[in-house]
Amino acid sequence: MPESGLNAALRDSVVDVLETMFFVRSTGDSRGEASAGDIVARVHFEGEPSGNLTLRMSALAARSVSADFLGEEDWNLAEQQIGEVVCELANMVCGSFLSRVESNATFRLDTPCLASIDADCEPADLRQPVAHRSRVASHSMEIAGGALRVFVETEARVWSATAEFAF
Amino acid sequence: MAYRVLIVDDSPAMRCFLHRVIEISGFKLAGCFEASNGREALELLGREWVDAILTDVNMPEMGGEELVERLSADEMLRSIPVIVISTDATEKRISRLRSLGARGYITKPFLPEALRTELEASLEATRA
Repeated sequence: MPESGLNAALRDSVVDVLETMFFVRSTGDSRGEASAGDIVARVHFEGEPSGNLTLRMSALAARSVSADFLGEEDWNLAEQQIGEVVCELANMVCGSFLSRVESNATFRLDTPCLASIDADCEPADLRQPVAHRSRVASHSMEIAGGALRVFVETEARVWSATAEFAF
Repeated sequence: MAYRVLIVDDSPAMRCFLHRVIEISGFKLAGCFEASNGREALELLGREWVDAILTDVNMPEMGGEELVERLSADEMLRSIPVIVISTDATEKRISRLRSLGARGYITKPFLPEALRTELEASLEATRA
C-alpha cells in the first residue's frame, strides 16, 4: 500500500474511533507541534512488520475527550483516568489501522502505555539486532480545543534494505 | 427480564465505558461485574453467576482466548454466552475465537446499539 494510502488509513482509523466511541469530531487540521503537558501513549505491535503507534494529545483535548468517554465532568477527572483513556484511544486506533492495512495478517498488540514526550527515544532493549524504524504514516488534527497527532513506525532490519513490509 | 453481565478487560477506562454503554443502550441490566483479566474472571465466576460475559482479548495473566477455552471446557460455565470485544477485525481472529466457543464478536470501535444487539442475540440463542 503506497504511503499516501497508509496516511489515509490512519486518518480514517482516527476519525472512526473518535466519532464512534468518543462522539468527537475534528475541527480541522493541525500542525501537530509538541507542547509541554502533552499526553503521549504508545502501543507496540508484533507482526509482519512489527512497530509502534504513538498518539499525542494536548492536555486540554485529552481531558475533554476523557470526560466524554467516561461520562464524567472534565473537572472531576484524575490524571490517571485521563492517561487510561488516552491509552485506550491509542489501542483502538492502532487495532483499527492494522486491520485496515493488512486484513489477512495476524497482529498482536501489547498493552498500551504512557510514554514521555520524547517520541524519538531509542528501543529499550539494545541487545536486539539493530533495527531501523521507519515512519510509515502520520495524521494531525484539531479536536476538543486542542491538538492530536498520531504516527506509526515500523521496524526493519538494517541489513535487509529490500525487505518488503506487509503494508 | 434483567441480566447479570461480567465485563473482562484490563483497561479500567474500557470497563467503565462498557458499563455505561450497556446502560445507555437500554439493555436490561440486573447487575454488572468486572474483572481485569481471565484469571480474575474465572475466580469471580466461582462465586457469582452471570448471564453473559464481555471479554477483551489481549490481557495480562490470562487473555481472552484462554478464558474462552476454559469456559468452553467447563460443564457449568460453557452455557454462559461469551462476547469478545476487540480491536482486531481480521477474519482469522474472529474465526479463531468463534471456533473456541465465543458466541459473539464485536470490533472496536462500535456503536452502543451494536453492543445491545449482540448481547440480546447471544442471550436469545442461549434460551433457544
